[in-house]
Amino acid sequence: MSQTKVINNHIKESKSRIVFRIINTILLASICLIVIIPIWNVVITSFAEDKDVMGGVYLMIPKSFTLKNYAKVLQSGYMDGFLNSLFVAVSGTILAMVVTVPMGFVLAQKHLVGRNVLMKLVTITMVFDAGLIPFYVLIKNLGMIDSYLSLILPFAVSTFNLIIIKNFMTSIPKSLIESAKLDGCNDFTALIRIVLPLSVPILAAVTLFYFVSFWNRYTEVVMFINSNSKYTLQVMLRALVFQSDGSLGDNNIVYDNMKMAVMVLGMLPVLIIYPFVQRYFVSGLLLGGVKE
Amino acid sequence: MQRKKTSFKGAKNEKNSIAPKKRSIWSTIYNQRYLWFMILPGLIWFIVFKYCTYAGLTFAFTNYGFRDEVSFVGLRNFSRLFQSSVFWNAFRNTIIISLCNIIFYFPFPLIVALMINELKSLFAKRAVQFMIYIPYFFSWVVVGCIFVTLLSPSSGVVNKILNSFGFDSIYFLADTNWFRPTLIVSYIWRQMGYGAVIYVATLATVDPQLYEAASIDGCGRFRKMLYVTLPSIKSTIVTMLLLNLSHVLLIFEQVLVMYNSSVYSVSDVLQTYAYREGILSGNIAYSTAVSLFVGVVSLCLVLGTNFASKKFLDDSVL
Repeated sequence: MSQTKVINNHIKESKSRIVFRIINTILLASICLIVIIPIWNVVITSFAEDKDVMGGVYLMIPKSFTLKNYAKVLQSGYMDGFLNSLFVAVSGTILAMVVTVPMGFVLAQKHLVGRNVLMKLVTITMVFDAGLIPFYVLIKNLGMIDSYLSLILPFAVSTFNLIIIKNFMTSIPKSLIESAKLDGCNDFTALIRIVLPLSVPILAAVTLFYFVSFWNRYTEVVMFINSNSKYTLQVMLRALVFQSDGSLGDNNIVYDNMKMAVMVLGMLPVLIIYPFVQRYFVSGLLLGGVKE
Repeated sequence: MQRKKTSFKGAKNEKNSIAPKKRSIWSTIYNQRYLWFMILPGLIWFIVFKYCTYAGLTFAFTNYGFRDEVSFVGLRNFSRLFQSSVFWNAFRNTIIISLCNIIFYFPFPLIVALMINELKSLFAKRAVQFMIYIPYFFSWVVVGCIFVTLLSPSSGVVNKILNSFGFDSIYFLADTNWFRPTLIVSYIWRQMGYGAVIYVATLATVDPQLYEAASIDGCGRFRKMLYVTLPSIKSTIVTMLLLNLSHVLLIFEQVLVMYNSSVYSVSDVLQTYAYREGILSGNIAYSTAVSLFVGVVSLCLVLGTNFASKKFLDDSVL
């Protein structure tokens, strides 16, 4: 008696389960579409002819394919902006990794004298931020206004990334480092030879985070950079789309396809790197940083 | 060769001092000199770019900005600040926008993560996470531009759809009624994947034995979610909520990118106010007072939420 009930129950559940799974899949698919369609739209519009985007809606289905927009954009000032952004992002990321990784490694060494004090110093900066204006005055006093240094040096350490690295390296067995030292390594060579090869996933994720943060930076560029020739792509992109800067078009009219081409340029590096490192943070590496 | 020699020497020294605990602190520091060299650049960075800005907060008590000689004026900047209606308007906008962001955004990542968790195929799980995480890597400028084109009154898709149903076009970014909802929707669009991916990763750490035990006890899918899944990820949920709460006053770049003078009354937040007063108008001392206000209130929020988390979860966020 009870057995049949269980079996009935099982069948009933599997039926409702199928319905549930169908609804679930449909909902998730539509969420994905909501995320993807705007991006897809930007991409296809950037390849469209002028006549297709004039006035009407250009959505989902590409009507024409031309590289003309990109040819025009590449010859314009936006290419300089792209290169400026690339320069800031690449040099900034390299500097940031060179400063952050050793610091995270050192803070992960529990036997370090004064480690608790150092951790306090770092944590304080997370809970209390002096804010915009003191930061601006500092950069001004350091003489870095209108120089790329102001976009690179102040962002050489992100406390979030530092803590992710520190937490990961704390989990590396101490015995590995000690045995490396017995083989003649000092702390520095132990980091290079033993710890770094073990930390590839976390390093990849943090590198992407740094690159993205440098590439996407907007506020500080507006604050610190005055000369047009040094503007990064993000600033130029905002001016183009929000203030309808007319430098790209004939008769000062810029059609959407041209704007979208610049926009694609603005997301291109991120879209290129993202697929390669995405699997690292889907696996939960971020949690360490969030928990701290 | 050189290195080998010194390490040998070090080993010999250790032998001589029988108990390593008795070594003086200076020789320990000397032994850790490589560590200190490695941390030095980072330390200097923290001192210059974090602690020096703290010193800059003292400008809030001076008349720094317009005049050549700087003198101490006490709390005059603050009394001006608290009497300014623009400041209180910015304060109100900050609270409204941030709280709406949290209230409307917060459930989404959790629900999406629970839905992803119900998917059977690993490939589908990965694919969904891959897609919804993408917008998080776009700058607010790119997100803003995408929304501007979608919402454009003349050629935007949203307004074309409204028109086809017989409604008039809405100037989403220039209409004081529509600006804040636009901010919130774009916030959700960009940040949803980030939160969802964090929850999915936490869900993966839930012990499968708990689910088995729950099914033996006769729990269905829904009750399993209620009694196993949610309690297991409770601490992540609270952590995310507290982190969001502690950033309530710091909303800035999203607004700076998307606002314009026609919607100042509903969109001007404390940070944009400080930015305009201090950097565009040069009123450094006054806007430092705004920064200090934001910093102190944020500090209280962080410490308060940390206290709450300790009390209710026995788990400190910091």
